Amino acid sequence: MSELKTQKSHEKQTPLTCSGHTRPVVDLAFSGITPYGYFLISACKDGKPMLRQGDTGDWIGTFLGHKGAVWGATLNTDATKAATAAADFTAKVWDAVSGDEVLTLAHKHIVKSVSFTQDSNCLLTGGNDKVLRIYDLSKPEAAPLEIPGHTSAIKKALWCNGDQQILSAAEDKTIRLWDRTSMEAVKTLSFDTSVSSMEYVADGEILVITYGKTIAFYNALSLDLIKTVEAPASINSASLHPEKDFFVAGGDDFKLYKYDYSTKEELESYKGHFGPVHCVRFSPDGELYASGSEDGTLRLWQTAVGKTYGLWKCVLPEDLGAENSEQLYTTAPEIKA
Amino acid sequence: MTTPVSVLRLPRGPDPNSRGFDPSSPRFIALCAASIPTSAASAADPARLQEEQRARSVLRESFLRCLLSMSNKRVQFHMYEKVKVEATFGASDIDVLNFQVSDLQTPIGVQKEALIRCQDVISYCFEV
Repeated sequence: MSELKTQKSHEKQTPLTCSGHTRPVVDLAFSGITPYGYFLISACKDGKPMLRQGDTGDWIGTFLGHKGAVWGATLNTDATKAATAAADFTAKVWDAVSGDEVLTLAHKHIVKSVSFTQDSNCLLTGGNDKVLRIYDLSKPEAAPLEIPGHTSAIKKALWCNGDQQILSAAEDKTIRLWDRTSMEAVKTLSFDTSVSSMEYVADGEILVITYGKTIAFYNALSLDLIKTVEAPASINSASLHPEKDFFVAGGDDFKLYKYDYSTKEELESYKGHFGPVHCVRFSPDGELYASGSEDGTLRLWQTAVGKTYGLWKCVLPEDLGAENSEQLYTTAPEIKA
Repeated sequence: MTTPVSVLRLPRGPDPNSRGFDPSSPRFIALCAASIPTSAASAADPARLQEEQRARSVLRESFLRCLLSMSNKRVQFHMYEKVKVEATFGASDIDVLNFQVSDLQTPIGVQKEALIRCQDVISYCFEV
């Protein structure tokens, strides 16, 4: 228990650390908001992706079955299905309620990225064999539609524009926009360096890209540049707040940065992880953001520090010294998992 | 000076003994189709349901007894990629994902202690 102090006007961010993984966390994704809250899936090099309650970080279950590092993980909107991409040359679809494996989709090389359409009927995969694949989940035996074109390993593949188009980022330093029907690339963005991450924000059709120390925002339909922001360190992942007030970014200096989207001003930065940050995402309600790190942990961070939400409790001056039936305790921000 | 934000508790971590997905959670109960195929039908006949549950119980029990009787016996495992190995069976984990075995005879030598991944096994046989 901490000493009782007068309520200060500035609260120090206390991230919630989710332990359990034994190797670096390389990808994470939130579901939409469901009647049971929202959920978070984490992809880890230990081969065991985990499902957590999104607002508390409480572990719900581990998807067991992959035989290699899991590079990508995603949930469908209502968190009834999960999909994972792994180094064992398979993508798997899971029942996210029971944890059972539903489908194994064999590939010819490491799979890096998986993405459901809005109706959860199709799964897009991409990986080291440089080919985008679209699987019809109602006909899993049928061969997938294949879209070749990239000249290096695909890192991320996402549906966009109402699932009519596909965005893909690859080691060939391009981002390509594909038309689903024609299966042709309609636009290509080229960079001097490999893109480290890509996030698609459907509401507003914004694409968030990171490369080097840059966080860049593009119109997802035209691939026109909206703005870029330079961070103090190499950035591996960034995420835009649903209301588009803020964006957060994390990278090789282990810190999380929070920026004002309109002014591009750096607002806050937080230490906490013990290794590079590989992925960061805002929750669907924007109240928190989750980060995954080389240190094997996920951390949940408050957007509005000090607000009562999830496991965070706002302590008012009149509460201090009063009889409280709840156990309240403060934790140092840099606790080890 | 800033004070750290208070938290009610830390996020719960994984259960070391299970893969989770608690079947008694409200979400599971609401969303999971019952595993018994007959019960999925809206007009489920209670008698058929009971019969099916009994059959499942019998099968489950005989499987568990089979595992028990394998204890400390030499078992031949037929696995994918035309692999056939023999080992002394020790135990299974709770989800039947791995078998703990000793003196595993492989084409490249004898492994004193090993774990065999159940999903790699096609069939196994042993003398009762």
